[in-house]
Amino acid sequence: MTTKAIEISGLTKVYTNGRGISDLNLEIDEGDIFGFLGPNGAGKTTAMKMMAGLMKPDRGDVKIFGCSVVDDYVNAMKHVGCLIETAESYSYMTANDNLKLFARFYPDVDQRRIDECLEITGMLRYKNEKTRKFSLGMKQRLGVAAAILSRPRLLILDEPLNGLDVEGMLDMRRLIKRLAEEEGTTFFISSHLIHDVELTCTRIGVVYGGKLVNVEYTHNILSNYSSLENYFVSEVDRNGRV
Amino acid sequence: MAGFKAALINEIVKLLKKKKMIAAAFLSIIAVMVGQVAVTAIKHGFGLRVVGGTEFPLVVLSMFVYTLLPLFATFVAIDMFNGEFTSNTMKITLTRPVSRFGVFAAKVLNLAIFIAANLLFVMVLSLLAGLLFNADSASAAGIGRVALSYAVTFLPVLVFSLLVVLLSNIVRGGLAVFFLSVLLFIGFYFLGIIFSNYSSFFITSMFDWYMLWISESASGFKILRQALIMSGCGIMLFAAGYYLFDRKDI
Repeated sequence: MTTKAIEISGLTKVYTNGRGISDLNLEIDEGDIFGFLGPNGAGKTTAMKMMAGLMKPDRGDVKIFGCSVVDDYVNAMKHVGCLIETAESYSYMTANDNLKLFARFYPDVDQRRIDECLEITGMLRYKNEKTRKFSLGMKQRLGVAAAILSRPRLLILDEPLNGLDVEGMLDMRRLIKRLAEEEGTTFFISSHLIHDVELTCTRIGVVYGGKLVNVEYTHNILSNYSSLENYFVSEVDRNGRV
Repeated sequence: MAGFKAALINEIVKLLKKKKMIAAAFLSIIAVMVGQVAVTAIKHGFGLRVVGGTEFPLVVLSMFVYTLLPLFATFVAIDMFNGEFTSNTMKITLTRPVSRFGVFAAKVLNLAIFIAANLLFVMVLSLLAGLLFNADSASAAGIGRVALSYAVTFLPVLVFSLLVVLLSNIVRGGLAVFFLSVLLFIGFYFLGIIFSNYSSFFITSMFDWYMLWISESASGFKILRQALIMSGCGIMLFAAGYYLFDRKDI
Protein backbone atom coordinates (compact mmCIF):
# COMPACT_ATOMS: atom_id res chain seq x y z
CA MET A 1 0.00 0.00 0.00
CA THR A 2 1.27 3.48 -0.90
CA THR A 3 1.94 5.77 2.04
CA LYS A 4 -0.17 8.92 1.99
CA ALA A 5 1.90 12.05 2.37
CA ILE A 6 -1.16 14.29 2.58
CA GLU A 7 -4.77 13.42 3.38
CA ILE A 8 -7.16 16.35 3.13
CA SER A 9 -10.74 15.71 4.19
CA GLY A 10 -13.64 18.15 3.98
CA LEU A 11 -11.34 21.15 4.26
CA THR A 12 -13.40 24.33 4.28
CA LYS A 13 -12.60 27.97 4.84
CA VAL A 14 -14.96 30.64 3.59
CA TYR A 15 -14.17 34.35 3.98
CA THR A 16 -16.79 37.01 4.62
CA ASN A 17 -16.65 37.96 0.91
CA GLY A 18 -17.76 34.43 0.03
CA ARG A 19 -14.42 33.37 -1.45
CA GLY A 20 -12.21 30.66 -0.01
CA ILE A 21 -12.25 26.92 -0.38
CA SER A 22 -15.01 24.48 0.42
CA ASP A 23 -15.09 20.76 1.04
CA LEU A 24 -11.64 19.98 -0.34
CA ASN A 25 -10.92 16.24 -0.34
CA LEU A 26 -7.58 15.09 -1.65
CA GLU A 27 -4.93 12.44 -1.10
CA ILE A 28 -1.32 12.79 -2.19
CA ASP A 29 0.90 9.73 -2.30
CA GLU A 30 4.47 9.83 -1.07
CA GLY A 31 6.78 10.67 -3.99
CA ASP A 32 4.13 12.55 -5.98
CA ILE A 33 4.91 15.91 -7.50
CA PHE A 34 1.45 17.38 -7.22
CA GLY A 35 0.54 20.52 -9.15
CA PHE A 36 -2.29 22.62 -7.75
CA LEU A 37 -3.71 24.66 -10.59
CA GLY A 38 -6.40 27.28 -10.58
CA PRO A 39 -7.19 30.83 -11.62
CA ASN A 40 -6.51 33.79 -9.32
CA GLY A 41 -8.76 33.76 -6.26
CA ALA A 42 -9.66 30.08 -6.71
CA GLY A 43 -8.54 29.26 -3.16
CA LYS A 44 -5.09 27.74 -3.77
CA THR A 45 -3.19 29.84 -1.24
CA THR A 46 -6.00 29.51 1.32
CA ALA A 47 -5.78 25.71 1.03
CA MET A 48 -1.99 25.79 1.32
CA LYS A 49 -2.09 28.10 4.32
CA MET A 50 -4.41 25.68 6.08
CA MET A 51 -2.09 22.81 5.19
CA ALA A 52 0.82 24.72 6.74
CA GLY A 53 -1.18 25.64 9.85
CA LEU A 54 -1.14 29.38 9.13
CA MET A 55 -4.93 29.40 8.98
CA LYS A 56 -7.50 27.50 10.96
CA PRO A 57 -10.10 25.73 8.79
CA ASP A 58 -13.80 26.31 9.42
CA ARG A 59 -14.24 22.56 8.98
CA GLY A 60 -12.20 19.56 7.94
CA ASP A 61 -8.64 18.44 8.57
CA VAL A 62 -5.29 17.91 6.91
CA LYS A 63 -3.12 14.96 7.82
CA ILE A 64 0.56 14.99 6.92
CA PHE A 65 2.18 11.56 7.15
CA GLY A 66 -0.74 10.56 9.38
CA CYS A 67 -0.49 13.50 11.81
CA SER A 68 -3.27 16.06 11.95
CA VAL A 69 -2.26 19.67 11.36
CA VAL A 70 -5.17 20.75 13.57
CA ASP A 71 -4.56 18.42 16.53
CA ASP A 72 -0.89 17.42 16.30
CA TYR A 73 0.78 20.34 14.59
CA VAL A 74 4.35 19.81 15.82
CA ASN A 75 4.56 16.22 14.60
CA ALA A 76 2.72 17.05 11.37
CA MET A 77 5.29 19.76 10.53
CA LYS A 78 8.37 17.75 11.50
CA HIS A 79 8.98 16.59 7.94
CA VAL A 80 7.56 19.55 6.04
CA GLY A 81 9.24 22.48 4.30
CA CYS A 82 7.09 25.43 3.25
CA LEU A 83 7.20 28.40 0.97
CA ILE A 84 3.80 30.07 1.24
CA GLU A 85 2.73 33.15 -0.74
CA THR A 86 6.00 35.10 -0.55
CA ALA A 87 9.50 34.14 0.52
CA GLU A 88 10.14 36.15 3.68
CA SER A 89 13.29 36.65 5.68
CA TYR A 90 14.48 38.97 8.43
CA SER A 91 15.85 41.86 6.38
CA TYR A 92 18.24 43.05 9.12
CA MET A 93 20.10 39.71 9.05
CA THR A 94 22.36 38.05 6.53
CA ALA A 95 21.20 35.07 4.46
CA ASN A 96 23.37 32.81 6.61
CA ASP A 97 21.99 34.20 9.90
CA ASN A 98 18.46 33.75 8.61
CA LEU A 99 19.09 30.09 7.84
CA LYS A 100 20.77 29.63 11.23
CA LEU A 101 17.55 30.82 12.87
CA PHE A 102 15.51 28.25 10.94
CA ALA A 103 18.09 25.52 11.61
CA ARG A 104 17.57 25.74 15.38
CA PHE A 105 14.26 23.92 15.00
CA TYR A 106 15.99 20.88 13.49
CA PRO A 107 18.69 19.08 15.50
CA ASP A 108 20.33 17.53 12.41
CA VAL A 109 20.91 20.77 10.55
CA ASP A 110 24.40 22.23 10.95
CA GLN A 111 26.47 24.91 9.19
CA ARG A 112 27.53 22.39 6.53
CA ARG A 113 23.90 21.74 5.61
CA ILE A 114 23.22 25.50 5.57
CA ASP A 115 26.11 26.00 3.14
CA GLU A 116 24.90 23.04 1.08
CA CYS A 117 21.41 24.58 0.74
CA LEU A 118 22.88 27.95 -0.16
CA GLU A 119 25.02 26.22 -2.78
CA ILE A 120 22.06 24.28 -4.23
CA THR A 121 20.04 27.48 -4.62
CA GLY A 122 23.00 29.48 -5.94
CA MET A 123 23.08 31.79 -2.94
CA LEU A 124 26.40 30.79 -1.37
CA ARG A 125 28.25 33.88 -2.60
CA TYR A 126 25.61 36.13 -0.99
CA LYS A 127 25.56 34.29 2.35
CA ASN A 128 27.02 37.21 4.31
CA GLU A 129 24.85 39.91 2.76
CA LYS A 130 21.82 41.32 4.54
CA THR A 131 18.64 40.22 2.81
CA ARG A 132 17.19 43.74 2.62
CA LYS A 133 19.45 44.27 -0.39
CA PHE A 134 18.23 41.12 -2.16
CA SER A 135 16.17 41.14 -5.36
CA LEU A 136 12.84 39.28 -5.53
CA GLY A 137 14.52 36.33 -7.22
CA MET A 138 17.28 36.15 -4.58
CA LYS A 139 14.68 36.25 -1.81
CA GLN A 140 12.82 33.45 -3.56
CA ARG A 141 15.99 31.36 -3.78
CA LEU A 142 16.66 31.96 -0.08
CA GLY A 143 13.07 30.95 0.65
CA VAL A 144 13.66 27.67 -1.20
CA ALA A 145 16.93 27.15 0.70
CA ALA A 146 15.01 27.63 3.97
CA ALA A 147 12.32 25.18 2.84
CA ILE A 148 14.75 22.38 1.95
CA LEU A 149 17.04 23.00 4.94
CA SER A 150 15.70 20.17 7.10
CA ARG A 151 15.68 17.61 4.24
CA PRO A 152 11.86 17.50 4.44
CA ARG A 153 9.87 14.56 3.12
CA LEU A 154 7.19 16.97 1.91
CA LEU A 155 7.63 20.39 0.32
CA ILE A 156 4.66 22.74 0.06
CA LEU A 157 5.57 25.42 -2.44
CA ASP A 158 3.21 28.25 -3.33
CA GLU A 159 4.28 29.83 -6.60
CA PRO A 160 7.95 28.81 -6.20
CA LEU A 161 8.92 30.33 -9.54
CA ASN A 162 7.78 33.84 -8.62
CA GLY A 163 10.45 36.40 -9.40
CA LEU A 164 12.91 33.88 -10.83
CA ASP A 165 14.67 34.50 -14.12
CA VAL A 166 14.84 31.83 -16.84
CA GLU A 167 17.98 30.33 -15.36
CA GLY A 168 16.36 30.30 -11.93
CA MET A 169 13.26 28.58 -13.29
CA LEU A 170 15.37 25.88 -14.95
CA ASP A 171 17.38 25.42 -11.74
CA MET A 172 14.19 25.15 -9.72
CA ARG A 173 12.70 22.58 -12.09
CA ARG A 174 15.91 20.53 -11.94
CA LEU A 175 15.98 20.79 -8.14
CA ILE A 176 12.40 19.56 -7.80
CA LYS A 177 13.04 16.61 -10.11
CA ARG A 178 16.31 15.74 -8.36
CA LEU A 179 14.81 15.83 -4.85
CA ALA A 180 11.84 13.74 -5.98
CA GLU A 181 14.04 11.14 -7.69
CA GLU A 182 17.01 10.95 -5.31
CA GLU A 183 15.40 11.62 -1.93
CA GLY A 184 11.81 10.64 -2.67
CA THR A 185 10.55 14.05 -1.61
CA THR A 186 6.85 14.69 -2.13
CA PHE A 187 5.88 18.05 -3.60
CA PHE A 188 2.67 20.05 -3.40
CA ILE A 189 3.14 22.95 -5.78
CA SER A 190 0.84 25.74 -6.85
CA SER A 191 1.78 27.73 -9.89
CA HIS A 192 0.13 29.82 -12.54
CA LEU A 193 2.89 28.86 -15.02
CA ILE A 194 1.10 25.95 -16.70
CA HIS A 195 4.01 25.02 -18.92
CA ASP A 196 6.31 24.56 -15.92
CA VAL A 197 3.69 22.53 -14.08
CA GLU A 198 3.34 20.32 -17.15
CA LEU A 199 7.08 19.72 -17.27
CA THR A 200 7.50 19.17 -13.54
CA CYS A 201 4.40 17.66 -11.93
CA THR A 202 3.34 14.04 -12.07
CA ARG A 203 -0.22 14.69 -10.91
CA ILE A 204 -2.47 17.70 -11.36
CA GLY A 205 -5.43 19.00 -9.38
CA VAL A 206 -7.56 21.80 -10.76
CA VAL A 207 -9.29 24.08 -8.31
CA TYR A 208 -11.97 26.49 -9.47
CA GLY A 209 -14.34 28.70 -7.51
CA GLY A 210 -13.17 27.25 -4.22
CA LYS A 211 -13.77 23.65 -5.24
CA LEU A 212 -11.47 20.92 -6.47
CA VAL A 213 -12.92 20.04 -9.85
CA ASN A 214 -10.58 17.30 -11.02
CA VAL A 215 -7.43 15.35 -10.15
CA GLU A 216 -5.54 13.45 -12.81
CA TYR A 217 -2.06 12.07 -13.60
CA THR A 218 -0.11 14.26 -16.00
CA HIS A 219 0.60 11.41 -18.45
CA ASN A 220 -3.13 10.61 -18.64
CA ILE A 221 -3.93 14.26 -19.30
CA LEU A 222 -1.31 14.51 -22.01
CA SER A 223 -2.58 11.36 -23.69
CA ASN A 224 -6.04 12.99 -24.03
CA TYR A 225 -5.11 16.64 -24.54
CA SER A 226 -2.38 18.27 -26.61
CA SER A 227 -1.18 20.27 -23.63
CA LEU A 228 -1.93 20.90 -19.97
CA GLU A 229 -3.15 24.34 -20.95
CA ASN A 230 -5.90 22.83 -23.11
CA TYR A 231 -6.89 20.50 -20.28
CA PHE A 232 -6.97 23.38 -17.80
CA VAL A 233 -9.09 25.57 -20.09
CA SER A 234 -11.48 22.70 -20.75
CA GLU A 235 -11.82 21.95 -17.01
CA VAL A 236 -12.39 25.58 -16.15
CA ASP A 237 -14.94 25.96 -18.98
CA ARG A 238 -16.73 22.79 -17.96
CA ASN A 239 -17.11 24.22 -14.47
CA GLY A 240 -18.85 27.38 -15.45
CA ARG A 241 -16.33 29.83 -16.78
CA VAL A 242 -17.30 31.46 -20.06
CA MET B 1 7.74 21.76 24.85
CA ALA B 2 9.03 20.93 21.38
CA GLY B 3 10.62 23.84 19.57
CA PHE B 4 10.22 26.25 22.51
CA LYS B 5 13.94 26.51 23.22
CA ALA B 6 14.73 27.17 19.56
CA ALA B 7 11.96 29.78 19.38
CA LEU B 8 13.24 31.51 22.53
CA ILE B 9 16.87 31.61 21.33
CA ASN B 10 15.67 32.97 17.99
CA GLU B 11 13.66 35.72 19.70
CA ILE B 12 16.71 36.74 21.75
CA VAL B 13 18.94 36.71 18.66
CA LYS B 14 16.43 38.84 16.74
CA LEU B 15 16.24 41.34 19.60
CA LEU B 16 20.03 41.63 19.73
CA LYS B 17 20.41 41.86 15.96
CA LYS B 18 17.87 44.68 15.78
CA LYS B 19 20.06 46.56 18.25
CA LYS B 20 17.11 47.34 20.50
CA MET B 21 19.14 46.21 23.51
CA ILE B 22 21.99 48.55 22.58
CA ALA B 23 19.61 51.48 22.12
CA ALA B 24 17.96 50.72 25.47
CA ALA B 25 21.35 50.47 27.19
CA PHE B 26 22.54 53.71 25.60
CA LEU B 27 19.47 55.68 26.68
CA SER B 28 19.64 54.13 30.16
CA ILE B 29 23.25 55.29 30.54
CA ILE B 30 22.26 58.80 29.48
CA ALA B 31 19.33 58.81 31.95
CA VAL B 32 21.55 57.72 34.84
CA MET B 33 24.27 60.22 33.87
CA VAL B 34 21.79 63.11 33.67
CA GLY B 35 20.41 62.13 37.09
CA GLN B 36 23.86 61.98 38.62
CA VAL B 37 24.91 65.31 37.10
CA ALA B 38 21.74 66.94 38.50
CA VAL B 39 22.35 65.48 41.97
CA THR B 40 26.03 66.55 41.93
CA ALA B 41 25.16 70.03 40.68
CA ILE B 42 22.66 70.56 43.50
CA LYS B 43 25.13 69.20 46.03
CA HIS B 44 27.99 71.46 44.96
CA GLY B 45 25.92 74.44 43.84
CA PHE B 46 23.54 74.74 46.78
CA GLY B 47 25.41 72.69 49.33
CA LEU B 48 22.42 70.36 49.71
CA ARG B 49 22.78 66.62 49.90
CA VAL B 50 19.83 65.36 47.82
CA VAL B 51 20.49 61.63 48.02
CA GLY B 52 23.01 59.25 49.53
CA GLY B 53 25.04 56.62 47.72
CA THR B 54 22.36 53.91 47.81
CA GLU B 55 19.41 56.32 47.61
CA PHE B 56 20.43 57.53 44.18
CA PRO B 57 19.47 54.20 42.47
CA LEU B 58 15.99 54.49 44.03
CA VAL B 59 15.59 58.02 42.67
CA VAL B 60 16.64 56.71 39.25
CA LEU B 61 14.20 53.81 39.55
CA SER B 62 11.29 56.12 40.42
CA MET B 63 11.91 58.04 37.17
CA PHE B 64 12.96 55.08 35.02
CA VAL B 65 9.93 52.94 35.85
CA TYR B 66 7.48 55.61 34.70
CA THR B 67 9.33 56.62 31.56
CA LEU B 68 12.00 54.67 29.69
CA LEU B 69 11.35 51.15 30.95
CA PRO B 70 7.65 50.84 29.96
CA LEU B 71 8.46 52.68 26.74
CA PHE B 72 11.19 50.19 25.80
CA ALA B 73 9.04 47.23 26.84
CA THR B 74 6.16 48.58 24.72
CA PHE B 75 8.44 48.97 21.69
CA VAL B 76 9.78 45.44 22.05
CA ALA B 77 6.29 43.94 22.50
CA ILE B 78 4.92 45.80 19.46
CA ASP B 79 7.93 44.80 17.40
CA MET B 80 7.61 41.12 18.31
CA PHE B 81 3.94 40.92 17.39
CA ASN B 82 2.68 43.77 15.15
CA GLY B 83 6.11 44.15 13.54
CA GLU B 84 6.21 40.49 12.53
CA PHE B 85 2.56 40.39 11.45
CA THR B 86 2.90 43.42 9.18
CA SER B 87 6.26 42.41 7.70
CA ASN B 88 4.87 38.91 7.11
CA THR B 89 7.80 37.30 8.97
CA MET B 90 5.58 35.68 11.61
CA LYS B 91 4.97 32.78 9.22
CA ILE B 92 8.69 32.00 9.18
CA THR B 93 8.43 30.78 12.78
CA LEU B 94 4.87 29.49 12.60
CA THR B 95 5.59 27.02 9.79
CA ARG B 96 8.29 25.28 11.86
CA PRO B 97 7.65 22.28 14.14
CA VAL B 98 6.67 24.39 17.14
CA SER B 99 3.21 24.96 18.59
CA ARG B 100 1.66 28.42 18.65
CA PHE B 101 1.75 28.27 22.43
CA GLY B 102 5.49 27.61 22.21
CA VAL B 103 5.99 30.64 19.96
CA PHE B 104 3.79 32.88 22.13
CA ALA B 105 5.46 31.74 25.36
CA ALA B 106 8.93 32.27 23.82
CA LYS B 107 8.01 35.82 22.81
CA VAL B 108 6.61 36.66 26.25
CA LEU B 109 9.64 35.13 27.99
CA ASN B 110 11.92 37.15 25.72
CA LEU B 111 10.02 40.28 26.74
CA ALA B 112 10.43 39.31 30.41
CA ILE B 113 14.17 38.76 29.89
CA PHE B 114 14.43 42.17 28.21
CA ILE B 115 12.69 43.90 31.15
CA ALA B 116 14.81 42.04 33.73
CA ALA B 117 18.05 42.77 31.86
CA ASN B 118 17.13 46.42 31.52
CA LEU B 119 16.34 46.72 35.23
CA LEU B 120 19.55 44.91 36.18
CA PHE B 121 21.63 47.13 33.91
CA VAL B 122 20.16 50.37 35.28
CA MET B 123 20.50 49.09 38.85
CA VAL B 124 24.20 48.27 38.44
CA LEU B 125 24.83 51.52 36.62
CA SER B 126 23.04 53.72 39.16
CA LEU B 127 24.61 51.85 42.07
CA LEU B 128 28.05 52.44 40.60
CA ALA B 129 27.28 56.10 39.97
CA GLY B 130 25.82 56.51 43.46
CA LEU B 131 28.72 54.80 45.17
CA LEU B 132 31.26 56.69 43.12
CA PHE B 133 29.91 60.11 44.00
CA ASN B 134 28.53 59.43 47.49
CA ALA B 135 30.58 56.49 48.75
CA ASP B 136 30.50 57.72 52.35
CA SER B 137 26.74 57.18 52.78
CA ALA B 138 26.66 53.65 51.29
CA SER B 139 25.77 50.56 53.31
CA ALA B 140 25.16 46.86 52.69
CA ALA B 141 21.57 47.22 53.88
CA GLY B 142 21.12 50.09 51.45
CA ILE B 143 22.41 47.99 48.56
CA GLY B 144 20.03 45.20 49.62
CA ARG B 145 17.10 47.63 49.57
CA VAL B 146 18.10 48.77 46.08
CA ALA B 147 18.35 45.19 44.79
CA LEU B 148 14.95 44.34 46.31
CA SER B 149 13.34 47.45 44.82
CA TYR B 150 14.61 46.72 41.32
CA ALA B 151 13.70 43.03 41.59
CA VAL B 152 10.07 43.60 42.63
CA THR B 153 9.56 46.34 40.01
CA PHE B 154 9.87 43.60 37.38
CA LEU B 155 6.35 42.26 38.09
CA PRO B 156 4.17 45.36 37.43
CA VAL B 157 6.18 46.28 34.32
CA LEU B 158 5.79 42.74 32.97
CA VAL B 159 2.04 42.84 33.61
CA PHE B 160 1.79 46.16 31.77
CA SER B 161 3.78 44.66 28.89
CA LEU B 162 1.34 41.75 28.75
CA LEU B 163 -1.40 44.33 28.28
CA VAL B 164 0.56 45.70 25.31
CA VAL B 165 0.95 42.13 23.98
CA LEU B 166 -2.82 41.70 24.21
CA LEU B 167 -3.38 44.97 22.33
CA SER B 168 -0.84 43.87 19.70
CA ASN B 169 -3.00 40.83 19.03
CA ILE B 170 -6.21 42.85 18.84
CA VAL B 171 -5.12 45.87 16.79
CA ARG B 172 -3.19 45.30 13.57
CA GLY B 173 -1.19 48.53 13.29
CA GLY B 174 1.87 48.94 15.50
CA LEU B 175 1.47 52.72 15.70
CA ALA B 176 -2.13 52.37 16.85
CA VAL B 177 -1.03 49.91 19.55
CA PHE B 178 1.68 52.32 20.68
CA PHE B 179 -0.71 55.27 21.07
CA LEU B 180 -3.32 53.06 22.71
CA SER B 181 -0.69 51.84 25.18
CA VAL B 182 0.39 55.41 25.97
CA LEU B 183 -3.25 56.46 26.46
CA LEU B 184 -3.90 53.48 28.72
CA PHE B 185 -0.72 54.21 30.67
CA ILE B 186 -1.75 57.83 31.28
CA GLY B 187 -5.40 56.86 31.85
CA PHE B 188 -4.50 54.19 34.41
CA TYR B 189 -2.18 56.62 36.18
CA PHE B 190 -4.89 59.24 36.66
CA LEU B 191 -7.62 56.70 37.40
CA GLY B 192 -5.34 55.35 40.12
CA ILE B 193 -5.20 58.82 41.66
CA ILE B 194 -8.94 59.57 41.29
CA PHE B 195 -10.17 56.16 42.44
CA SER B 196 -7.42 55.54 44.96
CA ASN B 197 -9.42 52.74 46.64
CA TYR B 198 -9.25 50.74 43.44
CA SER B 199 -5.73 51.78 42.44
CA SER B 200 -4.47 48.20 42.79
CA PHE B 201 -6.42 47.30 39.66
CA PHE B 202 -4.72 49.98 37.57
CA ILE B 203 -1.38 48.38 36.84
CA THR B 204 0.58 51.60 36.33
CA SER B 205 -0.21 52.77 39.85
CA MET B 206 1.63 49.66 41.08
CA PHE B 207 4.88 50.60 39.39
CA ASP B 208 6.05 52.11 42.68
CA TRP B 209 4.99 49.17 44.81
CA TYR B 210 8.65 48.62 45.68
CA MET B 211 8.04 51.38 48.25
CA LEU B 212 5.87 48.91 50.17
CA TRP B 213 8.75 46.46 50.29
CA ILE B 214 11.36 48.90 51.58
CA SER B 215 9.24 51.08 53.87
CA GLU B 216 9.96 50.98 57.59
CA SER B 217 6.50 49.57 58.36
CA ALA B 218 6.24 46.98 55.61
CA SER B 219 2.75 45.48 55.46
CA GLY B 220 2.96 41.83 54.49
CA PHE B 221 -0.76 41.59 53.87
CA LYS B 222 -0.82 44.58 51.52
CA ILE B 223 2.19 43.27 49.60
CA LEU B 224 0.57 39.85 49.28
CA ARG B 225 -2.72 41.35 48.12
CA GLN B 226 -1.05 43.48 45.46
CA ALA B 227 1.15 40.60 44.32
CA LEU B 228 -1.91 38.39 43.92
CA ILE B 229 -3.83 41.07 42.03
CA MET B 230 -0.90 41.62 39.67
CA SER B 231 -0.33 37.89 39.17
CA GLY B 232 -4.04 37.43 38.46
CA CYS B 233 -4.04 40.26 35.95
CA GLY B 234 -0.86 38.88 34.38
CA ILE B 235 -2.31 35.38 33.99
CA MET B 236 -5.53 36.74 32.49
CA LEU B 237 -3.67 39.00 30.06
CA PHE B 238 -1.34 36.15 29.06
CA ALA B 239 -4.29 33.80 28.48
CA ALA B 240 -6.26 36.40 26.50
CA GLY B 241 -3.19 37.30 24.42
CA TYR B 242 -2.49 33.64 23.65
CA TYR B 243 -6.16 32.98 22.78
CA LEU B 244 -6.07 35.73 20.14
CA PHE B 245 -2.60 34.75 18.88
CA ASP B 246 -3.67 31.12 18.48
CA ARG B 247 -6.77 32.04 16.48
CA LYS B 248 -5.01 34.47 14.20
CA ASP B 249 -5.01 33.68 10.50
CA ILE B 250 -1.71 34.65 8.92
